[in-house]
Amino acid sequence: MSGIEILQIWIIAFFTLALFSFLYKDNPFYRLAENIFAGLTTGYQVSLIWDTVIIQKLWDPMMGGQWWLFLPGLLGLMMFSRFFPKISWMSRVPLAVVMGITAGIFLTTQLHGFVLPQMQATMNTFVTAKGFADYFLASLIAVGVISTMIYFYFSHEHVGVLGVTAKLGIWFIMISFGAHFGYTVMGRVSLLIGRTQFLIEDWIGTFSYIF
Amino acid sequence: MTIWERFDNMDRRWVYLMVALAVIIPFLVPMKFDISITPEVQSFYDAVDNLPDSCTVMLVFDYYPSTAAECEPMAIVAAHHLFRKDCKIITLSNIPYGGPSMAETVTRAIAKEYDKKYGEDFVNLGFKYGYVAVLKGMGISIESIFPTDNSGTPLAELPMMDSVTNYEQVSFIYEIADNATADYWISIVNAGYGVPMGVGCTAVMAPKFYAFLGANQIVGLLGGMKGAAEYEILIGKPGTAFRGMDVQSMVHFVIIALVIIGNIGFFVTKRRNRKKSA
Repeated sequence: MSGIEILQIWIIAFFTLALFSFLYKDNPFYRLAENIFAGLTTGYQVSLIWDTVIIQKLWDPMMGGQWWLFLPGLLGLMMFSRFFPKISWMSRVPLAVVMGITAGIFLTTQLHGFVLPQMQATMNTFVTAKGFADYFLASLIAVGVISTMIYFYFSHEHVGVLGVTAKLGIWFIMISFGAHFGYTVMGRVSLLIGRTQFLIEDWIGTFSYIF
Repeated sequence: MTIWERFDNMDRRWVYLMVALAVIIPFLVPMKFDISITPEVQSFYDAVDNLPDSCTVMLVFDYYPSTAAECEPMAIVAAHHLFRKDCKIITLSNIPYGGPSMAETVTRAIAKEYDKKYGEDFVNLGFKYGYVAVLKGMGISIESIFPTDNSGTPLAELPMMDSVTNYEQVSFIYEIADNATADYWISIVNAGYGVPMGVGCTAVMAPKFYAFLGANQIVGLLGGMKGAAEYEILIGKPGTAFRGMDVQSMVHFVIIALVIIGNIGFFVTKRRNRKKSA
């Protein structure tokens, strides 16, 4: 292992331990690590966008003869007019373009990619069911979907049959929250495992080279 | 003060200490808990295993370094499985931080094991800003979106890319994500171009993707470190995810015990208070 690799591991270990130190209480090491992280990510993002968007997708092609790209460039510049109250109205033009394009793209992709396939799959559960277990699960899905959707139906007061179904919907939502919470715990623990694995295997591993 | 009240008022740092011990001890004393293979991981593995040899696969590194503990084992097993099948791998990333460099590190390290050459067997396209435009644009021409690879080499100079113009030449998309880009791969690329895909995602995201699995929009799902550990077993290469599962189980025992004890304490204290007020 080279000296630079060992130094790199020690820097990572220092920042990992500095961030973990917040679990005991707020301290200068934690704040140092937090601020360095915020500064680094901002600087990295700015340089990355400058290179991959401004230079590669705008400046270089324009210099290569695609002069019409000055239009999106101009729209981008107009966004900055928000900083000047007298001409801030100009920022609405690029915003309108972005909103129009986004709505157009997402309307079709959301419908085609999410709503229709999910509806089709929900309706198909009975068609593809084989045996009691499948029919039971298909019924559970049907009841879950309908009762949850009724919970989010606010045009009538939730009383009577509507109220009972909406309450059932809450139960399904709560069970879903439980599953999400369980997975969230698993995910967060995995991240802790990753850091601990690094500290035990990589960082402590360098001790034999140094001491 | 009763034991339950004392437990209720316990400094949270004791909980951190218990979790820390539950994480460290299994690393030092491995417990070797069994790991069962779930149907969603098995179907993912089968789908990749049934791909024609030497086909082209997109391996997408849509995760940040902060979730590498969960996602990197997935990328490693994916590269092993795909190189073993002689698949051509195109790596790319839709997230700005770390994606292209992690793709570079993982694929180059594993390519050495299988004697694969850059430009002939795998290519790293790197990162481009604006994932919706990127995903839609690659449906027409990959080269129009990524004129060069991650290190600036024009795609025309990479032999592997001679036969790849757009999604039509891509047999499978192996998406590894810790954010919403996976949704866009499903809604734009899978729904729009019909390319089969599997998703490896963080555990936090996994419940949502079961709906896509149930609707056959994805062929398989690797949910967090557990999913990666199962895939490691299936390809016969136990790695960091496999080693982490002992720890995962141990911490879950601690958390479940604390939740149960906390709830018992809550109900006991509530009952006692009710008796006192009556």
